[in-house]
Amino acid sequence: MLNIPTTCPCCACGCGFFLLARDGELVGVAPSRTHPVAAGKICSRGWSAHEGPLWGQRLVRPLLRRDGKLEAVSWDAALDHIAGRLQDLIQAGKPIGVLGSPRATNEENYLAVRLARAGLGTNHLDFCYHSLCRPLLAGIEDVTGDSSHSIGLADIESSNTIVLVEGDLAKTHARAASSVLKALASGARLIVIGCARTQMARVASCFLPTVPGREGDTINGLLAAAIRTGPTEGRGAMPSAGLEPLQCKLAEVNITEEMRVAAEWLTADRAVFLMGPGGGDAGRLRQDAAAMTSLAVITGHLEKPDSGLLPLLARSNVRGACDVGLAPDRLPGYSHIDDPEARRRVERIWRKAVPIGSGLDAEAMLESVSGLILLADDPEAVLPAGRRVRAAMERLDFLVVLDAFATAAVETAHTVLPIASYAETEGTFTNFENRVQKVRPATAPPGEARDGWRVLADLCTRFGTGSAWSSANDVFHEIAEAVPRYEPAERGLSAGGWGSSLIGAPAWTRFALQGAAAGPAEADGHAYVLALDGTFDWGSDPLVASSPTLRREYQSERKLFPGGFVEMNSEDADALGVREGWRVKLNSTHGEAVVPIRQRKDLLRGVLLAPYAFRDCLSGVLCEHGVTAVNVERA
Amino acid sequence: MLSELEMERAVFTLRKRDVTEWLARLLGQGEVIAPTSGPCGEVIFSKIDSPEQVLWDFENPLSPPKQFVLPQTDPIVRIECKGKGTQVAPIHDNRRRFLFNVRPCDAKAIAFLTRMHETEPADASYLSRAAETTVISLDCNAPCTLGFCVCSDSGPFASGGSDIELTDLGEKYLVAASCAKGEAALSGMDGLFLPATDEEVAQRDDLESEAKRHFGDETCHFGSAMRRISTGRVDDALWEQMSDWCLACGGCNFICPTCYCFSVGDRGGDGTWTRCRTWDSCQYAAFTLEATGHNPRAQRRDRMKRRFFHKVSAQYFVRDGMAGCVGCGRCISVCLGATDMPAVVAAIRKRAWHEH
Amino acid sequence: MNTDVFVPQIARIDAVRDETPDTKTFTLRFREPREEEAFRFLPGQFVEVSVFGYGEAPFCIASSPTRPGAIETTVRRTGRLTDAMHQLGIGAEVGIRGPFGNGFDVESARGKDLLFVAGGIGLPPLRSLIWYALDRRERFQDMTILYGARTPQDLVYKDELKEWETTAGVELHVTVDTSSSDWTGKVGAVPVLFGETTLRPESTIAYVCGPPIMIKFVVQDLFGRGFQDESVISTLERMMQCGIGKCNHCTIGHRYVCRDGPVFNFKQIRELIE
Repeated sequence: MLNIPTTCPCCACGCGFFLLARDGELVGVAPSRTHPVAAGKICSRGWSAHEGPLWGQRLVRPLLRRDGKLEAVSWDAALDHIAGRLQDLIQAGKPIGVLGSPRATNEENYLAVRLARAGLGTNHLDFCYHSLCRPLLAGIEDVTGDSSHSIGLADIESSNTIVLVEGDLAKTHARAASSVLKALASGARLIVIGCARTQMARVASCFLPTVPGREGDTINGLLAAAIRTGPTEGRGAMPSAGLEPLQCKLAEVNITEEMRVAAEWLTADRAVFLMGPGGGDAGRLRQDAAAMTSLAVITGHLEKPDSGLLPLLARSNVRGACDVGLAPDRLPGYSHIDDPEARRRVERIWRKAVPIGSGLDAEAMLESVSGLILLADDPEAVLPAGRRVRAAMERLDFLVVLDAFATAAVETAHTVLPIASYAETEGTFTNFENRVQKVRPATAPPGEARDGWRVLADLCTRFGTGSAWSSANDVFHEIAEAVPRYEPAERGLSAGGWGSSLIGAPAWTRFALQGAAAGPAEADGHAYVLALDGTFDWGSDPLVASSPTLRREYQSERKLFPGGFVEMNSEDADALGVREGWRVKLNSTHGEAVVPIRQRKDLLRGVLLAPYAFRDCLSGVLCEHGVTAVNVERA
Repeated sequence: MLSELEMERAVFTLRKRDVTEWLARLLGQGEVIAPTSGPCGEVIFSKIDSPEQVLWDFENPLSPPKQFVLPQTDPIVRIECKGKGTQVAPIHDNRRRFLFNVRPCDAKAIAFLTRMHETEPADASYLSRAAETTVISLDCNAPCTLGFCVCSDSGPFASGGSDIELTDLGEKYLVAASCAKGEAALSGMDGLFLPATDEEVAQRDDLESEAKRHFGDETCHFGSAMRRISTGRVDDALWEQMSDWCLACGGCNFICPTCYCFSVGDRGGDGTWTRCRTWDSCQYAAFTLEATGHNPRAQRRDRMKRRFFHKVSAQYFVRDGMAGCVGCGRCISVCLGATDMPAVVAAIRKRAWHEH
Repeated sequence: MNTDVFVPQIARIDAVRDETPDTKTFTLRFREPREEEAFRFLPGQFVEVSVFGYGEAPFCIASSPTRPGAIETTVRRTGRLTDAMHQLGIGAEVGIRGPFGNGFDVESARGKDLLFVAGGIGLPPLRSLIWYALDRRERFQDMTILYGARTPQDLVYKDELKEWETTAGVELHVTVDTSSSDWTGKVGAVPVLFGETTLRPESTIAYVCGPPIMIKFVVQDLFGRGFQDESVISTLERMMQCGIGKCNHCTIGHRYVCRDGPVFNFKQIRELIE
C-alpha cells in the first residue's frame, strides 16, 4: 500500500494526510501525527477525500461540441481548436475572461493568471468564490493595509480568549473547531456571535445572539466596551488613526453586561479573533470585518505574535488563489493592479506589459465576455446567482472547461479538457494560516487526463507566454519570484516530507480604525429576517457530491426537499401553527416564495435560515445580498 | 502466562542476529507487512522489500494493520452487464501475507474482526484474505504512552489473535507459535529456531508482570461504565454534554482496530461495476437515515450512545467474547474533539464530564 | 452454503403491475432454474435487490413461499434506485441477495385467529403471510384483514382486495383517509375499522404494519382490548446495507433488524435498547 503525503483539498484548514493507493488505485486515507496542522487528525470530509476522485464521474478525454453534442477528440485537436477560436475572438476585439478556482493548485491558478494577463492580454480574471470572501479580506485590508496576515491554529489553542463570528464552525472548519475545544479545555474563554446555538455557541463562555444583518451592532458593542475597558498592556506600537472618531461614533452604542465581561476577557494576554465570510450586503460585511480587525487592534492583540485574526476562508486554496493574483484588480501578491512595484515584478518575469486597469469580476465576466476559460469550478453551484448563471453561460461564444470532474459547467462547454484531480497531480495549496503545502499524486490521472498545470502551460505557450516549466516545482519557482512572500516556501517543497512552510506577510505600517455599520432600522412590518446559512455549499462540490459517504451526509436531506426549505425556530413555528415540513409563504419587498419549513430548536426566534444550496428556490423573495426582512404566513 | 499445553506446542528462541534470515525466508513465501519508517517521519505498517526495513523499537503506528485485512475501499464483487446478460463474480484477495511485529492489542483486534466475519453467514471475501494472513505479534515490554490494553485484557503481552508471539528477552526473542498457521511460518527454517528453555519461558512471564506494573492508575476502568451502559443508566444529559465535545469526524471508527462498520456501493459505469465495501462511521448523521427521511439517531448524543454501547456494553461482550476495545489508545490521538474512550468511560464512571 | 454473501443472484423481471401512481409490483424470476429451485424463504423475509449501476436496496418478499417459482416485491419510488427500477421493463435483469431476516413465526400461529392490520405501503410485508395462510388455510382459524390508505388510488393490490373480500373465512375491511367521488367504502384512519369487526384477543395473533403513527394508535387500541405483547407482531424498518448483520447500519442496541428481525413481537420491541 502506497502512503503518499498530501494536503486535503476541502476546506482551508489545510490538514495533511497520506493518500493510500494499491495497484494504481486509491484505497483510502491515513492520518499522520507529524503533520503540522493535522497532528494525527482528519475531519469527515478528509477521511473520504479519496472517494471523490475514485468514485466521481471523471472527465477522461478532451471533448469538442459538434452539432450540439460533445465528442471525444485528441489533445492536439482540442488545443488547436481552443487556440484558434480564442485567437479569432481576440482579433475581432471580443473580450475574453479566465476563471481560476480555490479547488485548483497554486501552480494551476498562477498559470491561469499568466495566460490571462500575458497571453490573452485580458484583465478579466477572477474566481467565482471571490465575491463571497472579498468583503472579509477588503475589510481587513481597510484597517491594516494588507489582508494576508493570519494567526495559526496553534495560536487558537494557546489563547486565553477567542472571539468567533459564527456560521457553524464545527461543520465548516472542524479542525479549527478542534483548536477552539482544546483552548476551552485549557481554560480559555470563548465569545460567539451568531444567530443559532450551534455547537460552538453551546460550549461558549458567552454567546451573543445576533440576528443576521446586525453583526455590526454586536461588534460595535464589543468595540465600545473594549474602548471603555481601556488599553491593555503591551498595546501595539503601530500608529492607529481613527480612535477618536471611532469613540464618537460608538458613544451611543448600548453595551450589555455580556459585552462588558467579554471586553474584560479581551484584556488577557493572548486573544484570537476568528471570522469567516458571511452572507449579506458586501459593504456591510466589509465594515464588519474592518470593525472586528479594529477590535483586535485596540485590544492590543493584532500585533502580538501569537494573537490576532484568522480569516475562516471556506475552501482549500482561497488564500493561494488570491496570492497568485486571480482577481480582476489584483496582481500576483494580491497587490493592486496599479501597484508599480508589483507591475514591474511581473512584467519582468512575463516580459510583457500587463493591461492597464481593472477587468471584470466573475459575475460581470459571465454576462459580458465572449470567450471564457473556466478552471476546476462550477459557477452555478458557487455564485450567489445560482442557476440564473446558466443562461449567461449558454450565451458565451466559446467556453473552455478544464476539470477533473464532470460538473454542470460541462453542459454548456464548447471544449472540455480533462485534468488530474488533486489526488493525481503535483502542486501546492495555501491554507488560511498562510502555510504553503505540498499536494502529491497518489495515482495516475484516469484516461487521457493530464496535469492541469501542464495543460495551462501548453496554452501559455500557444499564446506566446510559455516558459520552460518541466515540473510543478518549476512553476512554483516562478510563483516565488512573482510573489516574494512565497520564496521561503520553495526549499521546503523539494525537500520531501510534508513540504509545509509557514510564510510571512508584508509588514504593517499603520492601522486605520473603523467601526461597523449599524444594523438596518427595524424593518417596518417585517417580523422575520431570512438569511442564507454560509457562503458555500459543500453538497454540490464534486469532492463531496462524488463521494458515496459524504454525498449521503450532505445531500440526503435536500433529496427529501427538492424544492428547498428554510429553518425556523420551533417556537416560532408553533406560534404560526406550522409543523415540520409544512409550507409557508415568505413575503419581502423584493417578492415572495413558498417553501417548506424545518424546525430548529437552536435557531434564534425571528430568524429563518436557508442552506446556501437553496438560494435558487428563494430567489423570488431574497434581496440581492441575501439578508432580507420577510413576513411569514402559512401557505 | 503460557499454559503447559502452549509450551508443548511450539516455543522456541531466535537469536537477534538471525531475525534477518527468518524475514528473508518469509519474504520468499509472501508479503511481509511490518512497522517501517514511513514518509514524513511517521511509522506506518508497510509491505517491506528487505528485512532491514522492519522496526523493532517503535511507537505503534497510528493506522492499525486492520487495513490489510479490511481495506478502506474493498472490492468484493465484479459485475458485468454487457450484451449476453449480467455476469457476477466474487473478488477474493488470496495474497499470502505476514503481519509482522504487530502489537498484542492489534493482534487481538484482528482475531475480533475475523470472528465478526466468521459469524453466520460467513463473509468469504474477508475470510479468504484472513486465511492467508499470519499474525506475528511482538510483546510490549514497556507500555506505550496512551495505551490501556490492561483494562481490556488485550496486552501488553499477547492475549489472543497471535499466530506467533514474539517476546524480546534481551539477547534473543522467544518465539511461541499457538496454532498450525504459526507453526507453518517457523517450519523449514532449520537451525534458526532453538527450543526454548524453562528459564527463557519464565523470563517471558517475568517481563509480562513487569510490563503490567508500568501502567498507571488512571487508565480506563470499564467495569462501572459497562454496567451503566448496559442497563441504560447513563443520563441523556451526559451524552448530550459529551456530544458537544465530538466533532463527528469518524476518526475513532476508522482508526479503531476493532471497528468494522461499512457500506456497500457499486463503483464504475458503462456496464462494468465493482461492488466495494467501504469503511463507514456510526457517528455520521446519515448512517441510520432511512429512505422515508426518518432517522432513529438524528441527535448526535444518540449516535455517541450507540458507539459506546457497541464497544462497551455487556450485551456485546457476551455476544463477542470480549469488549469492542483493545485499549490501543489510538482514539485519543485521532479524536478531533475530546471524546476518546478513556475520557468517555471516565465521565460515565464519575457521572460528570470534564473536558481536560 | 454460498458464503460469497455480497454476490447477487441474477433474476429477470417477469411482470410489472402498477399498484398506485408511485408503487409497482415486480415479479422476479431467477435466471438459473436451479437457483429458482433452491430459493426457500419464509413469509416476512426480505431480499436485497441490486439495480445495476444504482446499488442495492432491501425489499420485503410480498409473495408466499407456498407458490414457488418467481417471487414478487412491491416497490415505492423514493429515490434514485427505486426511480431507476421503475424504469425497468420485462426481461430486465436485477440482482437478488437473500432471503434475509427472521420471517413470521408461522408455526406458533397455527390454530389461531389471524388479524392483519395494514396502512398504505405496510400491506406488502403482510401479503406474503396472507397468501401463505390462505394456501395453508386449514392450519389457521378466522382471518381478518383491516387495511387503510390515504386515498382510494393509494390502495395496493386492488384486485386481490376484491378477491379476499369474497373469500370464505376471510373478513376484509378497507378504509381511506380521504375519499374520492367513486369511493363507496369507509372513510377514516385505520383504527375506525375496529368497529367493523369482533376481535378475540385471547385467540388472535395480530400483525400490524404501516407508518409509525398508525402502528402506535393501532397497538394502543389492541392492548386496550386485552391483546398480549407476544401476540402483537410488527416489522421494523431501518436503513440496511448488507442484510446479514455485519455492516451495523440496522442495529437497535445489540439486535440487528436484518437478522433478529425485521419481524418482532411487542414484547421483543419493548426490550430493544435504543
